[in-house]
Amino acid sequence: MTMTRLALSGLRHRTGAFVATFLSAALGAAILMTFASMIDTAGRPAVDPVSEESLATVASVAGGWGLLIVVFAVASTMTLSVRQREHEVGVLRRAGATPGQVGRMIAGESLLIALVAAVVAVPIGLVLGRVLLRLLQDTGQVAPSVSYAFGPVALGMGFGVTVSGSVFGALLAARRAAPAASAPPYPRSRRLSPRPGRGRVVAAVVLLLAGLSCGVLTATVMKGRGMDAMQTAGQAGIWSAVGLALLAPWLLRLVAAAVPVRLLFGAAGELAATNTRRQAAQMSGAVMPVILFVGITTATVYMQAIDDRAAEGLIRQDYEKNVQTLNYVVVGMIALFVAIMLVNTLLAATTYRRGEFARQRLAGATPAQVVGMVAAESLLLTVTGVVFGTVASVATVLPFGMARVDDPLPSLSLPPYLLVVAVAVLLTFGAALGATRRAIAGRAVDAMRLCT
Amino acid sequence: MADAVRLEGLRRVYPGLGGVVTALDGVTAGFAPGTFTAVMGPSGSGKSTLLQCAAGLDRPTEGRVFIDGTELTATREAAMTRFRRRRVGFVFQDFNLMPALTVEQNAVLPLRLAGRRVDRRRTREVLDRLGLGDRLGHTPGELSGGQRQRVAIARALITDPAVIFADEPTGALDLRSARDVLDLLRAAVRDFGRTVVMVTHDPVAAAYADAVRFLADGRIVGRMDRPTADAVAERLAHLADAPAAGGADLLTGAAGAAFSGWPRGVAGAA
Repeated sequence: MTMTRLALSGLRHRTGAFVATFLSAALGAAILMTFASMIDTAGRPAVDPVSEESLATVASVAGGWGLLIVVFAVASTMTLSVRQREHEVGVLRRAGATPGQVGRMIAGESLLIALVAAVVAVPIGLVLGRVLLRLLQDTGQVAPSVSYAFGPVALGMGFGVTVSGSVFGALLAARRAAPAASAPPYPRSRRLSPRPGRGRVVAAVVLLLAGLSCGVLTATVMKGRGMDAMQTAGQAGIWSAVGLALLAPWLLRLVAAAVPVRLLFGAAGELAATNTRRQAAQMSGAVMPVILFVGITTATVYMQAIDDRAAEGLIRQDYEKNVQTLNYVVVGMIALFVAIMLVNTLLAATTYRRGEFARQRLAGATPAQVVGMVAAESLLLTVTGVVFGTVASVATVLPFGMARVDDPLPSLSLPPYLLVVAVAVLLTFGAALGATRRAIAGRAVDAMRLCT
Repeated sequence: MADAVRLEGLRRVYPGLGGVVTALDGVTAGFAPGTFTAVMGPSGSGKSTLLQCAAGLDRPTEGRVFIDGTELTATREAAMTRFRRRRVGFVFQDFNLMPALTVEQNAVLPLRLAGRRVDRRRTREVLDRLGLGDRLGHTPGELSGGQRQRVAIARALITDPAVIFADEPTGALDLRSARDVLDLLRAAVRDFGRTVVMVTHDPVAAAYADAVRFLADGRIVGRMDRPTADAVAERLAHLADAPAAGGADLLTGAAGAAFSGWPRGVAGAA
């Protein structure tokens, strides 16, 4: 009871901090509802079997990708927002709150956010679903007579996944935060963020193996099966991207050791290198979306390019055109979602560092040096994300090339890739540096007072 | 010999809820090199504002600040930072250390930021002298409160500043660590020839200084040389009797300071 009231007042007082979580949950729920409503539509009476099958395919393939990414995104945003409240949790624990009470408070908050987000997502999902159906009808895959339905499956998926993903992510994070009754102002352990667990490594290895096997499957079994190879090839890239995203803390450290930020940014670069080494797990929250963004967009764009090449000179059927359109729609949606998640993560994480920036300034760092440090960190984040996102996309492109045009390395044009990278760079630097400028706008002494 | 710090006619006015709040109302004072001065006063008397203006963390509304004979004229933050880090060292109540850096890295951070050469041997000497010789590779999280404050003192000493400003340096420490830190600040003056200006609530802490300046309602209202804790406490009590607010605060004295900004200090004692 008390904890619920505390949770509610927490939400009221920290509206800004919850916006990120709310946005990603709402958008995720909308995407899920959009695809799930295709199943509702297919379930209507008098839908012919062909239409029904295409609707089911769209819902399961595209929706499946969406599901994976939405759960991942919502859980990770939730983790971030809980971790940022370690101080508050520590105060509560010292004031006598049991770990269970803290857990209930955090779960209550995330439940509330997720519910509101899912409600807000309903009209968006409703409209997007209609657009998607129209698209399928315009390309002749679904009979024009089929009318749109937004029903129990859409609502169930939207609410169910968003709420359980949020609460699960929050509880997982709370379990780590709650025991810290004596949360020290300076974390006790030398490695500041919790050491990534073994479960994470296992999950990453499983996902990477799944990606690899999808890739092998594409290059062997699916060879010569034309466009159908897209399904396995696409999955190869996605599984690999998620697997690599889980390994982000280690990958980030690897890149930090390889890129000479010290030389490029001086003292600010040195701080960035130390931060990255010591706080890799925290910073990797922003690397994950970059990997996903670069991996998924690059994979889809080039897969489509290879397919276009294979179809050169042939007249394309409606079905193929439809898949092409759908591919771009799906990738566009996911890319947008991941981009928002990236910006959210960076804004939240940077704003959270206000106190750290203030300390630095009091220790003699000029505003330019603080910004320089964040720029150096952003460089490391972006390089890690782009390099390993590209690696993940190779898991799609290479096998698909073999399957479709019998050439693992068909000469493809570079500009689309460069565009993807440019967008990733722009988003990362824009969000991080913008938030940093805002975080250091006032006087350092005031910022300190707010943070302690 | 020129003062290490000279303040001339400092006024600092903040926009408040019902009009303006005058935190400093014409403060003129000099702090000679090689001295240890405590600045005391009831809460709300302008101590922190005085320190922030004198240290170049804040700009006064009127008046001039000279450090080591050079006037602080910069208004942009980058320029103020450069002015500060060349001439001023800081010791804060909450230590203000970077949690990701080791003891040694924290101590040399201002030098690094200023792009100055780091003399490793001297750094070690200073840290050794402060009893941190076997803690060079530790992070602040692995240190006690007293040790953290010693790291902050080392950091303030290593840049060879013209003056070290200490803002309630013992506010978050237990009695014993507080005594150690005050001894070290005094040693910084006697053995290293530093100038220290310390803002404090605590008459016992003030008694470690060579002289005390009393502040009330944004003005300097008195001075005491070779202070003792009792004499300081008595003078403060008289200040509190004056019409100015803040009297209740004095009754709790040092305990009030410990509870004021840093809840973790309370947890540490529990």
